[in-house]
Amino acid sequence: MERAEVLSKLTVIFRRLFSNDSLALTNELTAKDVGGWDSLSHMLLITEIESAFSIKFKLKDLNKMKNVGDMIDIIIAKL
Amino acid sequence: MFEKFILQPFIESTKQFERSNAFCINEKFYTYKELAISISNIRRALQNQNIRSKNIGLVVNDDLETYAAIFAIWLEGYAYVPLHPQQPLERSLKIMTQTDVDLIIDSSVKSKFTANTVINSFRLATEEGVYLNPKSAPADALAYIIFTSGSTGEPKGVQITRMNLGSFIKSFWEVGFHIDQNDRCLQCFDLTFDVSVQSYLVPLTRGACAYTMPHNQIRYSHIYGLLENHKITFGAMASSMIRYLRPYFNEINISSMRYNILAAEASPLDLIIEWSKCIPNAEIYDFYGPTEATIYCTYSKFIKEGDNKHFNGMLSIGKPMNGINAIIIDDEKRALSKNQKGELCVSGYQITPGYWKNEEKNAEYFFEIKEGNTIKRFYKTGDLCYFDEDGDIMLAERLDNQVKIQGYRVELGEIEYHAKKFLAGQDAVAVTYSVKNGSNEIALFVEGELSNNYELLEYLKIKIPPYMIPSKIIVKDKFPLNTSGKTDRIALKNLIQ
Repeated sequence: MERAEVLSKLTVIFRRLFSNDSLALTNELTAKDVGGWDSLSHMLLITEIESAFSIKFKLKDLNKMKNVGDMIDIIIAKL
Repeated sequence: MFEKFILQPFIESTKQFERSNAFCINEKFYTYKELAISISNIRRALQNQNIRSKNIGLVVNDDLETYAAIFAIWLEGYAYVPLHPQQPLERSLKIMTQTDVDLIIDSSVKSKFTANTVINSFRLATEEGVYLNPKSAPADALAYIIFTSGSTGEPKGVQITRMNLGSFIKSFWEVGFHIDQNDRCLQCFDLTFDVSVQSYLVPLTRGACAYTMPHNQIRYSHIYGLLENHKITFGAMASSMIRYLRPYFNEINISSMRYNILAAEASPLDLIIEWSKCIPNAEIYDFYGPTEATIYCTYSKFIKEGDNKHFNGMLSIGKPMNGINAIIIDDEKRALSKNQKGELCVSGYQITPGYWKNEEKNAEYFFEIKEGNTIKRFYKTGDLCYFDEDGDIMLAERLDNQVKIQGYRVELGEIEYHAKKFLAGQDAVAVTYSVKNGSNEIALFVEGELSNNYELLEYLKIKIPPYMIPSKIIVKDKFPLNTSGKTDRIALKNLIQ
């Protein structure tokens, strides 16, 4: 899967989860830039991403996800 | 007490271990020497001010200057009032007015507090001279004032004296922790929350290094990173943090951990049994205590291979720490005997002199009992408890609408107060519900109609801190009533899927 495709799938998930239809994902986007991105929503986000891409993250992967760019890299590596 | 157990050991650390690391903040290390210099510079800046109030506002960023400011304030004999940068400005201003704060120390590049006297601690002229000799201050001078949620919409300021804090740290060491300059200690609590005070004082009074938690991070994965990458040996955590790690327990093996403290909320036995396997070499202690009794006042040691006392699946909070007297009382303030449930009350040197300028609440929460010639002053915790046969305290439930969210103490009434104010006439009820991993979250019910959830949430965000913002808003035509004609909170709770 191409980065662009991962990004567009992620955008759908993020927009639904954070109830924000105009949320634009960039590689640099972090939890502090998105209202409501806390431990609870992160856990829900991870679960949704895992089921959408049929992958499973390890805790070490989560720890490496400093921004959306890292997240995309890790997803691609798992596909 | 404060000098002997806090200031002197800290000053000793800065001398004896000046080249060792005092802090690891955002992956950057700072030595005791650097900390001592930063403290001295802030102290000189404080001395150049005309100090009208001894309560100094401290914007609690995650940086060396913020921690240095705490010690600069203490060495001058003043108290700090933590102001969280992510807390609504309106709330910070209210806290400042209440506590007569007119001087603020802020390490932010751009301070939000423009109308006050602000010491910008990140851009102070740096002088190399270390100046740590403490000014003398009376035992009843304050060390900090921490605000907790108030059910009537106004947060309550808990004043903690130097005597309170010195007594706490003395009793804490007497539990039997052996920490030295080789330890690496976790400090993952906001400085607006008193478990942070234990978390930075333990390393700094022993020459060890404190590893802090940056703001704006996903807490559970970041804590894991600190534990794993830096081989943490000592750390206090809340069970809600551990709960988030549960799906990954089979990946976790923190063999470096020697002591793990469970704090800030009740600890579920099944969770801790599983967690204990992730930290195979650690002694685990469950500590309990309201802010009013200075950080912790009772504890129990978790038995790894054996039976642990519990009630409703929650670990026993054990026995009082040295210097704490605990009783369980009925409605008439009569002490109850074993196995009888009542309100847990605590007395001793750790008990706050009271809420800052709040006589009404002080009369409600504190009372005296005469025993022979001595008068003991007790704080009513609001926790329904009982003593078992061995004198261990079992925690049953809250007697009011106070709940714990991610370890933070939240009065549901405070959320309701602000929601109702926005709704102007409509009723609102806040309840907790558990999400699939078992952690507590807040749902807000609104009676009648609500055209726009967003506006209500935005209003709440300028009134209350982020952890108090409901994660769900549910609108109901009519609230269910219980047999006494009041809104049935339990029925509402049952409506949440």
